Formats: sequence, C-alpha cells, structure tokens
Amino acid sequence: MTDVIRTAGLSKKFRSTLALNGVDLAIPEGAIYALVGANGAGKTTLIKILMNIYRPTSGSAAVMGVDCRKLAGKHFQSIGYVSENQEMPEWMTVEELLNYLRPFYPQWDRVLERQLVQEFDLPLQRKIQHLSRGMRMKAAFASSLAYRPQLIVLDEPFSGLDPLVRDQTIEGLLERAPETTILLSSHDLAEIETFASHVGYLEQGRLLFSQEMAVLSQRFREVTITLRTPAPLPREIPQTWLRMEAGDVVIRFIDSDFHGQDTIERLRSFFPTATDISVEPMPLRSIFLAIARTESRQNEPVPEEAKA
Amino acid sequence: MRQTLHIFAKDTRHFWPEIVVSIALVAVFVWTDPIRWLSQNGLYAVAGRGIFPALLQERFLTGLVPLLIPLTWWLLIARVIHAETLVGDRQFWVTRPYEWKSLLGAKLLFLAVFLYAPIFTAQCLLLVRVGFDPASHLPGLFFNLFLISAILVLPLAAIAAVTSSFPKMTLILLTLLITLVGYVAIGLLFYADNVSLPFNGLSIPLILFFCGGAVTLQYARRKTRISRLLLMALPALMVISSLATSGASPVDRDYPRPGDHEQAPIRLSLFRDRPNPPQAYVDRSRQVELTIPLEESGVAEGYALLANNTKVIVRAADGSHWTSSWQPVGNQNYLPGDSESYLRVSVDRAFYDRARSRPVQLNFTIAFTEVKAASATTLSLPARAFSVFNFGICSPQLDWFGRQFSGIACRFPLRQPKLTYVGVQWADGPCSGPEAAVPGGAWVGNLDDSPADFGISSVWSEPLSFSNSSKQEGGKFEPRRLCPGTPISFTRYNFKGRTQYDFSIEDFRLPAYEVVNSSPGAVSFDITAQ
Repeated sequence: MTDVIRTAGLSKKFRSTLALNGVDLAIPEGAIYALVGANGAGKTTLIKILMNIYRPTSGSAAVMGVDCRKLAGKHFQSIGYVSENQEMPEWMTVEELLNYLRPFYPQWDRVLERQLVQEFDLPLQRKIQHLSRGMRMKAAFASSLAYRPQLIVLDEPFSGLDPLVRDQTIEGLLERAPETTILLSSHDLAEIETFASHVGYLEQGRLLFSQEMAVLSQRFREVTITLRTPAPLPREIPQTWLRMEAGDVVIRFIDSDFHGQDTIERLRSFFPTATDISVEPMPLRSIFLAIARTESRQNEPVPEEAKA
Repeated sequence: MRQTLHIFAKDTRHFWPEIVVSIALVAVFVWTDPIRWLSQNGLYAVAGRGIFPALLQERFLTGLVPLLIPLTWWLLIARVIHAETLVGDRQFWVTRPYEWKSLLGAKLLFLAVFLYAPIFTAQCLLLVRVGFDPASHLPGLFFNLFLISAILVLPLAAIAAVTSSFPKMTLILLTLLITLVGYVAIGLLFYADNVSLPFNGLSIPLILFFCGGAVTLQYARRKTRISRLLLMALPALMVISSLATSGASPVDRDYPRPGDHEQAPIRLSLFRDRPNPPQAYVDRSRQVELTIPLEESGVAEGYALLANNTKVIVRAADGSHWTSSWQPVGNQNYLPGDSESYLRVSVDRAFYDRARSRPVQLNFTIAFTEVKAASATTLSLPARAFSVFNFGICSPQLDWFGRQFSGIACRFPLRQPKLTYVGVQWADGPCSGPEAAVPGGAWVGNLDDSPADFGISSVWSEPLSFSNSSKQEGGKFEPRRLCPGTPISFTRYNFKGRTQYDFSIEDFRLPAYEVVNSSPGAVSFDITAQ
C-alpha cells in the first residue's frame, strides 16, 4: 500500500513560535486518518502545509507523490479540501457555486452532485452568505466531493455543527470512503472514534504517535491487579505501564503494549501473589488522556532533589 | 484559455454594478470633456444651450469627471483582484484547480474589456469630435494607454495584489497620499518654491519593474512579504533616483560651456533706460525675488533660445559674494529681432540686506536650449476652426462680449505639439481700419518626442497667450484684436543643442524690496498691473 501523504522532519515556525516540530507522518492509501490534538497543537498548520497554503520552514512533505510546495493548479483536481474557516464566494448561491466549480474538474460527476445536494438537503437558490454554519459546511462538502477526489482533506470539519448535520456529513463522507483517502483533523476524539481507521496525535507541534486505530485499541488496556497480601511494587516497572496507582492490595495502571495472554502471563510473573488480574479495553478518549498526561509529565522539568 | 474565460465570466457577473458605473462615467467624460475646449473658444455659452444646459454650465463637471474615472478604476481593480485575494490563508480558491496564469489572464482580460477598451473608445471618440482621425494616431493612443497602465493601473493592481480587502487597500493609498503631501510640505518648508515630485525618466521603468514584479510574484507564488518589500522599495528608489538626478550637477553636465572661440548665441545686458525698473519682493522672508529688465541681441536668424536655468553670483562692494544654485527660468524664450526681456532670480535675503547699500556686480550664467526653425506654415486667420498640418486644430477665441477675436485656442491630439512659435498681427483699432499691425507671438509645445502625454483625455487644448495682446494708454490696458484674414504663422522648432552663456552687470543698485504674504504669482500680477 502506497502512502498518499508522507512527511519527513516537517517543521514550521511563525516568528519565534514553533508550530510544527519535526513531524514524520505517513498516511496510507484508503485510510481515514484522524489527526487529533488540542487547539493550537499544530493540526491546521500541518494541513495548510500539506495543501501548500503555508510553506514549511524545514523538512519535506509529499501529497500524492508531489512535493507539497509544488502543489497547485491541476493537482487540486483530485484533492478535496474543506476547512471550518474557509472563505467562500459569499455572493454566489449554492447552485452558482456548483456551476462555477464544475468546469474546473474534468471528472465532476453531475449525478453525484445531485445526490449530494439531495442528501445534504442544500437550498440551491440561497446565497452562501445567507446559509447557516451547518449548511455552509455541507455546501463546501458537496462542492469538494462531487468530483470524486482521491484525497479528501478536512480541517475541523465538524466543529460547531449540530449532531444531526454532523452525522449527515459523516455519512456522506463514509459513502465516499472506499474510493478515497481521507485526512481530517479534530480536537474531539468522540466524533472521529467511530469511523477513523488511523489516528495521529499532535501535541505542541510534535506528532506523539501515529497508528492504525485497531492496533491502538488492542495495544491499550486498563489493568487492575488484586493482591492477596500487601506487597512492594516490582523494582523495574516496564515503561509501557502508564499512570500506575498502587494501594495496599490493589494496583492499577494502563498497559500500552498489551499482547493478550502473553501479557497476562507476564503480569502473573510480576505479581505472583495476585488473586485477580482484570484487563479492560479502553475508549479512545482514555487512551489519549493517558498518553497526553504521560507525555506532559515527561516534559516537566525534573526537580533538583529527584536528580540527586 | 477556457479557465481564463470562465473566471472572467464569473467576475463580469459579479461586478456588473461597478462595471456599469465605470463605463457610464467614461461616457459622461466623452460628453463633458469637449466643454473644456468649447469654453476656451468662447463658445461655451453656445454649448450650454444644448441638453441639460444647467448641468453643462457647471464647469466643475469637466474637472471632476477626469478625477472620478481613476477612482472608479481603483474600485474596479481592487474588486476584481480581491475576488480571488492573494493574501491570507483562508481563500477557497487556493485549494481549487486554478492555474495562476489563467487567473492572472482573467484579471487582465477584465481590465482590458472594462477599463482599457472604454477609455480607448472614449479617446477615439474625442479625437473624432475635434476632427482628428484616430487611425492616424494609433501609436499615440496606445502609448497613452501604456502611460495610464504604468502610472495608474499597475500601481493600483500591485497594491491590490498585496492587500486582502478594499479597506486595507484604501488605507495604504491614504498613507501614500499623506506621505506625498508630507514630502511636498517638507520640501516647501525647507527648499522654498523648488519642490518637485520624485518623478523622472527612471520612474516608469522602476514602476514597471517593481509593480509588475510584485503582481507577477503574487499570482505565481503568493509571496506576499517579498512583494510588499518590492513595493516599499519602489518609492524609496524613486526618491533616490530623483535626488541623484536633481540639483546643480545635471545642468552642468547637460549644458556644456561654449569653447573660447565659439560665438555666444545671444548677447544680454541690463536695459538701463527701461520704464519699468528692476523690482524685488520677498515672500516667506527668506529669498528676495529680483526681476531685472534685459536688452537682448545676437540670436541668429532661424534660431531661438529657450532659457531653462540660471544662476547668479552677487558680488558686494566690500568684496563678499553670494552664489545661487541653478534656478529654473519660467518660459523665457529669445527670438531674433527681440530686443527686451526680463530675468527673475532669487537672492538670499540676509546677503541682499547687507549688500544693497552700495552697487553690486551681478554675474549671471544662463543654461539655454538652442532650437532651430524646421518648418513654417503661414495662413490667413479664418473666422472659424482651422486645421494646421502637423500641429492641431485651432479656433479664434471670442472676447467676453462675443464681438471680436481676442486670441486663438488650439486642440492637439494626445500630446502638446512639438515646440512651435505662433506669430500673429494684432490690430489696435477696428478690423476695417487702416491702423498698422502690431506683432505678437506665443510659444506652445515642447521638444519631447514621445507620441503621447499622460492623460485621461486624448485631446490637449490650450489657449495661446500672445505677447502684446493689449496696449497701455493713459494707465489703462486696452485689449487688441485679431482680425479675420490677418496672417498667422506656425513655425516648428527642432532641438539643436544646449549651452551656457555668461554675462555681467556692473554697478547694479539692488532695489528696495516689498514684503508680501501672498504667492509669487499673485504678486507678479500686482506689479504688472500697477
């Protein structure tokens, strides 16, 4: 499987602010890649670099095999880009927008266009400036999906949308998913959890991890160990155990490298007095929180006494 | 090309109100511009009897419309460029399959159709209205469009290309305007009346390079920061190039001193017995403006001298002296047979005050352009409009009462004419009378070879100010008249060369000066009137 998007050491500085810091990213063909992170993590910057709206300060990025700095004109015939804060030609009606954009795309599908208009319930005669936020996004979606792009890039597409509109757009998006690669950014894990195939987590400009969703869900487990009698913690705790909490006879942590029965056997060898080992799958939100907190702890300055 | 036409069609649909306003204004201009030359002919009242006479008689319309046209162009350029703004990171079109050449092509096509074509048509119509054939002035028409592009359209397009909205563009233009006013104000404050805008022969190439570069760079790469730097560098370079080519050195460089054995092209000396003695006045308290009557002779037949600059060394009786820089001389030309003229120079007031108690010596140097008569046409003055080959179309001007001809006004296609001396014979009395004719003359035009001067109108009109147009009798000025049938000659002059000429005035008594608060123009009128 080839990578539709690939970046290497991608960095972007705005004056003294480092918005992106050496991002290495690979998005395989056919993926629904969710780029998540808090506001200001660098998601929009990364996407704008990929779309050649910003130029990277260092590093490289290729989109569908083209250096992103050379992405222009015809390359966008197979890319659909929708952003929450994109300026649209407000004076046009939805129909005028579609009529105007159609000749730019040789592969524009009129049937699909009508289908999208119907699906999204778009008011064709209404001016874009008079559309609600949800309708604007749907119009943007329709105008970016009707030519069956090979790559769809969505920057916070569901931000501020009511649940109904959000579900409608996700549905519309998923219908196109088999024939395309999708990169979308979001700061809301819940909204992408159900349909993303891959996920990457950006924090303060750094890509903390980038993984297939299924692998991620399998890797992380919340582990609770009940001991017969109070016992000291093992001397060397594996680095893959995160957020460890130890009581007298109960130990809780998150295992970020869970491998089924092998891991349980390993846990038994660590805690021979364990009466019960409970392993629970985790929602995506808890996984991210665990990673985020661990990362932020690692980034904290080490106190002098601890160093000593 | 298809994409270009597609974007062009979209812009046309979107900006039709702006287009209508712009074209309507150009149409109004075609209607009102002739009032300029009709009024010079003394036919203004006749024109006013047509449709909407009250409106026509508002003369300000003729001055206002040519000012409004560039404003509508500003709006048109800003709107069409900002439709696909090149600044920012939120525009929808940057992630659509726009080819930059097609986008730029669409904007150029829009300007060609809705800016250049209307003004080109208007200029052709105005030429036809005067009686010129546009087909024979195509190089001039296109050259004028080129000048309009370089001076108006391209700078506006460049500013639009580096701004994201009309208000931001307006703010930049206002800043430029304020800077320009400040430049002139500072110049007036520190350099008195010798202030000129930083515009010279290098300016057009600089504008083309920097503004054209900024526009192209923005469309090709959207490198806004570099484009803005280019535009900021432009005025700085214009000022530097202007400063580098102004001052004394270019006059010394361009006007060589004659060789030892070369004959002087003219002889000038103080006209001591002139009824109007030397005069002086002061304004703004720094310079004394000294006007000296001169006797002249020695200009060779078939030649004329145009005084361009002068400088003076004033040597006081106590041995001290004051040297001026080169000062421009306004419209002082010398022909063979002329016998008197005036020379006006500015002298430092403090030195003037110190030196004026005793006679001084004045050493003048005048930088002359020498011109040679090339062709002459003489005809009898018709009572209505007449065409002069290689010159223009002229009409006799009626006086205020519409009873007699008090001069002539001429219209020229696209530029002022090549330098021409127009000679007339004034009549002191009624045209039927036997009174002897009094010669009068006027210079018109310049030595420039370009096919057009910058202007919204394609017609240059000028009433000719002939010398000796009135006689003084008993302290009253009586206007003279031009009689139909009187000979009128048009002599075109070509550039011959440039030279400097020195002459001295010994034992000159600096006159007492009058301190005035008004402008020099108003003062000189007062002196003349007295």
